[in-house]
Amino acid sequence: MLSTIKPSKKTIFLYLLVPVALFVFTVFVPLITALFYSFFDWKGGPVKTFSGISNYAQLFHDGTFWTAFGHNIYLVVICIIGQVGIAFVLVMMVNSKLVKFKTIHRTFGFFPSTIAAVCIGLIWNMIYHNQYGIINWFLKAIGRPDLCQVWLNNSKWVMLYVSIPLIWQYIGYYMVIILSAVSSIDTEIFESAEIDGANGFQKALYITLPLIKNTMLVCITLCVAGNMKAFDNIYVMTKGGPGTASMVMAMYGYQVSFSQTNMGYGSCISVAIFVLSLLVIGGSQGLIKRLTREKEA
Amino acid sequence: MDKKAKTNRPGKLIGGFFMNLVLWIFSLSCIFPLVWMLYSSFKEKRAFNADIIGLPKSPTLINYIRILTNKDYHLGESMWNSVRTTVLSIVLIVLFSYVVGYILARVRFKLNRVLYAMFLMGMLIPVHSLLVPIYVVFRNCGLSNRWFTLLLPYISFGLPMGIFLVEGYVKGIPVSLEEAAAIDGSTFSKTLFQVILPICKPILVTVAIIQVFSCWNEFSFALVLIKSVGLQTVPLALTQFKGQFASDYPKQMAAMLITMAPIVVLYFAFSKQIIKGMVSGAVKG
Repeated sequence: MLSTIKPSKKTIFLYLLVPVALFVFTVFVPLITALFYSFFDWKGGPVKTFSGISNYAQLFHDGTFWTAFGHNIYLVVICIIGQVGIAFVLVMMVNSKLVKFKTIHRTFGFFPSTIAAVCIGLIWNMIYHNQYGIINWFLKAIGRPDLCQVWLNNSKWVMLYVSIPLIWQYIGYYMVIILSAVSSIDTEIFESAEIDGANGFQKALYITLPLIKNTMLVCITLCVAGNMKAFDNIYVMTKGGPGTASMVMAMYGYQVSFSQTNMGYGSCISVAIFVLSLLVIGGSQGLIKRLTREKEA
Repeated sequence: MDKKAKTNRPGKLIGGFFMNLVLWIFSLSCIFPLVWMLYSSFKEKRAFNADIIGLPKSPTLINYIRILTNKDYHLGESMWNSVRTTVLSIVLIVLFSYVVGYILARVRFKLNRVLYAMFLMGMLIPVHSLLVPIYVVFRNCGLSNRWFTLLLPYISFGLPMGIFLVEGYVKGIPVSLEEAAAIDGSTFSKTLFQVILPICKPILVTVAIIQVFSCWNEFSFALVLIKSVGLQTVPLALTQFKGQFASDYPKQMAAMLITMAPIVVLYFAFSKQIIKGMVSGAVKG
C-alpha cells in the first residue's frame, strides 16, 4: 500500500464510525441481549427473574418447537427438489435449440420472485379459497367437485400446500442463476458430445451438471438459508395452523414472544433458531461437499 | 443456431413441442395471478363472486376509488412510508457499502481484517433469529415505532452483501489510478468520491437493485417494530386489509395491485438489468 494515498487514522475512523456502529447495534447487540434474556423468566413486564437454564430445559421438551423445526427441514428438502430441481430441468429445456422466446420465459419466470412474500401469500390464499378459489373452480369445471376442499385447513397436507407457493415463487429465480452458469459453458463441448451420439438427458447429467456444480451448490445454500427463515408466507396463509400443522420456527418464536408475551422464552427460542439455522446451513454444505467428492473419487 | 445437429426425426419434433408446452405453462403460471388480479379488480364484488374467472362484463373503477378515498385504509400513507423507507435505505446502503467496501479493499489498518470478518459473519447470521431480540433492544432504547425505525435493520442487513460486492470490485481496479490522483494532489476524500466513485457505478447499481426489492417487500421486521397505523409499510398494510376485506376479493386485489405497481413497472421496464443484478448479487454474495 502506498503511503501517498494512505489516509490518516482519524479520517478512516470518521468514515467507518456510522456504518460499523449501526451494524453492531442492530446485529450484535440484539444477539447478546437475546442470549442474556434467555436465562430469565420474563413475561414482557418489568419483572425479570433469573431462572438459569430452565428455558432451555423447557425448549428441549417443547414438542411444538421441534415440530416447527421439522417443518423447516421439510421446507428445505421439498424446496431443494422443487425449486432447484425443477429449475434445472427447465433450464435444460430453455437451452434446447427447439425452444423459442427464451427471453420471455426468463422475464416471466423471474417475475414472482420480485413480488413481496406477503402478496404471494395473499394471492395463494385466493387461489386456495374454498368458495372463490381457482383450484376449487377448476375442480368443479372438470366435473370433480368431490375433490374440492378447504385446502389450508387440511392439517395432514397443509405443509405441502404452503410449500407450493414458495416453490412456484422461486423456480424462476434459480432458473436464471443456473441459466447464467450454463451459458458460460463452451458450446463446443456439447457439439462434440452430440457427434458422439449423446442425447439430451446424457448431456444434462454428464456434462452440464458436473460443469455447473459450484453454481448448484450456491443455489442449494441459498435454498437452505432461505427456508430456515420461512415466515412471511406462513404468517399470511396459515399463521402456523391449523393447530401447529404448519408451524415453523420463526412463526413459533413470534407467537411465544408477542401473542403469549413470553419474552424470556421467546429469546431462548431466538437463540435456538440462530444456532440450529447455522448448524443446518453448515451441515448441509459439509454433506454436499462430501457427497460430491466421493462421486469424483 | 447450429445447423448440422438439426435432424427432423419425429421424436425430436414431439420432444420440442413438449418442451415448449411445459415452458409456456410455467411462464404463463408465473404471470397469470397478476393478469387475473388486474382484470378482476375491475369487477364488483357481486360480479366476482358469481364468476371468479370471467372477464369483467361491466368494468368499474369502484374498488380503486373506494380504496384511495377511504381514509381508514391508510393506503396512501403506507405507500409514502414504503417509498421513504426504501429510498433512504438504498441511498444509505449504497453510500456506506461504497465507503466501507473501498476502505476494506484499499486501506491497511489494524482492524481491517476484524471488520471484514464481522461483516462476513453478518451475512451468515440468520436474520430471523433477530426478530424478537431487535424488538427488545429497540423498545428499551425508545427506537421502535418511529418513522426511521425500519431504516436501521434494513441498512444493517443490506450492508454485508453491498460491502462484499464493492470490495471485490474495487480490488479489480488498478491502484495506479489512485497513485496518479495522489500525485495530482488529490486528498483521500476527493479520490474516494471523485475518482473511484464513477468507476464503481455498475456495482453500486447492482447493490441498489438488490435492495429495492428486499426493502420494498420486507415484512417481518416491519410487523414487529411498527405499531402505529400511520407508520405502516405496504406489506404490513396489506395484511391488515386481509382482515378488513375478508371476502371482498376484487377490493383486496385492487389494493395489492396499487402496492405492487411501482415494483411491477420497474421490473418490466428494466427486467434485463434487474435479473442480471440480482443474479450477480446472489452468486457473488
